[in-house]
Amino acid sequence: MIWLTWRQFRVQAWVAAVFAVAIAAALAATAPHLFDLYQSSGLADCTSNCGDLADTFVIQAGTRLNTILYGVGTAALLLMPALVGIFWGAPMVARELETGTHRLVWNQTVSRRRWILTKLIGIGLTTAVTAAVVSAVVTWWAAPLDDGRAGRISPELFSARGVVPIGYAALGFAAGVLIGMLLRRSIAAMAVTLLAIVLVQVAVPFFVREHLTTPVSSSTPFDPENIASLGISEDNTITVHAASPVEDAWELSNVTLGPDGEEFEGPIDPAKCGPDAAGGKRECDRYLGTLNLTQKSTYIPADRFWSLQWRELGLLLSVTALLGLASVWWISRKVA
Amino acid sequence: MTDAVTTTGLTKRYGRRTALSDCTLNIPAGHVVGLVGPNGAGKSTLLQLTCGLLAPTEGRIEVLGHTPHTGSPRLGFVAQDTPVYGNLTVADHLRFGAHLNPGWDKALAQRRIAELGLDPSQRAGKLSGGQRAQLALTLAIAKRPELLLLDEPVAALDPLARREFLQGLMSYAAENGTSVVMSSHLVADLERVCDYLIVLVASRVRVHGDVDELLGTHHRLTGPRRDPDTLGPGREVVQASHTDVQSTLVVRSTAPVDDPSWTSDRLDLEDIVLAYMAQAGTHGRDRVLEKR
Repeated sequence: MIWLTWRQFRVQAWVAAVFAVAIAAALAATAPHLFDLYQSSGLADCTSNCGDLADTFVIQAGTRLNTILYGVGTAALLLMPALVGIFWGAPMVARELETGTHRLVWNQTVSRRRWILTKLIGIGLTTAVTAAVVSAVVTWWAAPLDDGRAGRISPELFSARGVVPIGYAALGFAAGVLIGMLLRRSIAAMAVTLLAIVLVQVAVPFFVREHLTTPVSSSTPFDPENIASLGISEDNTITVHAASPVEDAWELSNVTLGPDGEEFEGPIDPAKCGPDAAGGKRECDRYLGTLNLTQKSTYIPADRFWSLQWRELGLLLSVTALLGLASVWWISRKVA
Repeated sequence: MTDAVTTTGLTKRYGRRTALSDCTLNIPAGHVVGLVGPNGAGKSTLLQLTCGLLAPTEGRIEVLGHTPHTGSPRLGFVAQDTPVYGNLTVADHLRFGAHLNPGWDKALAQRRIAELGLDPSQRAGKLSGGQRAQLALTLAIAKRPELLLLDEPVAALDPLARREFLQGLMSYAAENGTSVVMSSHLVADLERVCDYLIVLVASRVRVHGDVDELLGTHHRLTGPRRDPDTLGPGREVVQASHTDVQSTLVVRSTAPVDDPSWTSDRLDLEDIVLAYMAQAGTHGRDRVLEKR
């Protein structure tokens, strides 16, 4: 059975290997220069003024090649679950059912359970190893740039760094297999698989991930020096946001509260702030400072990265295992 | 005689559609059995229930004394349209058979492929329909099954390929004494190879028996018009048609018909099958008489 799995899958396996080696080679070739720059810019072991150092470093390191590689590496990991689900998962059973070859293979001396288990485990492991290799290389190579940019705890990078790409890719494969055997048509299964995986990739970061850890809440007196954005309407209502209290964190919420504990919306004194105020920005800031406002924010700090990664990987692999078991059950009982 | 397959009240439904209903039959072992019936009679469903690809909705089926399941080394199955892996070569298929079957007869498989003149490095997707069917048959028999099931194996083949396939099957069955059950909606195909026939119409067995016995006991009687009930004991009227002055009867009779008022003709297998289908109220002529 292992021989058949390999024989039917070897072309795809080679494509995956070539793809992984190409990415690894391109990143390894450009890594020394990037890492040197990271050291020499001072960002690597900065203790103060890190924001400015980061900006300088990102501009210096942002050669066209590096920008492309950064984008390709991140995109490869974000697209891998869908690609694996569409091209490896969805047709795996659906194509056999379409061409009737399941009637050939199931009448050899091999049980359906062993047939599906060998394929699920064999191709599933290939998927996991490919994702692990690509993610390891990309995470290693992109670390300096991630440090200089938003930070890898941020939702747009988190799914493409560390160990969670393994979980997403494995889940994509298992979902593709199950959808394929339920729909019994490769093309339809590919479309539905794509939809399902995109849904998971959006839903997990924005609705699930924050529940895997306890976010940090902070309440600090509002500091007018720290205003990030400010908007005043004609009816003297105001929206004001202060900059995030910690750098590199994944900010879940950040609101400015009034003395009553509700989100502060004014009204404000038009003589102090606004288009008719005489004192300008400085006067307005001073005025806002006297209003007894509080900045309340919740966030997930950057140092939670690995614990959150392992928890999310655990969640994804659990769902993958459930989908795999459902496939085994369905093949053994329902499909003919 | 032991039975290769026994079914009792076997029923298979797909949702609201009934593919096989309340089918009770015995298929004897040690024969090349032809399973004939119009399209939709339930032949394919019955064979897939027999090899365990389908599970019955109701009723029981025993194959070689056990409840059937796929992956059994004792059953060989050539599915309808003889599926093979299009992107695997002929040699790959033999390797695949060897890896997946402990009882694989490598010499037999290679000899057959050589005899058929198939190129081992050819992709199965590029084979002709006849070659593909032969490859599928090779996979099924090199597994050395006790019971070989074939679901309309020659339906899509041209007359020459059909003849070659059936010859290959016949010589294998004769050499090895393997029980074979082969379905077809064409009696002519079965006539060449089968020594036992089961006529299945609308899930019911209309007649079954040794081909020679069926041929020897069925007669077409033509004579002056009379009531078929007056024929006497031991004679079963299968089909009767009357004009004003003349009656034509298809009769199953163990004793010879010696009444001088009748003209007695022998029937060929196709006529017998058609008579039973007409009896079952189906328009068998449209479906069964596709002579090619």
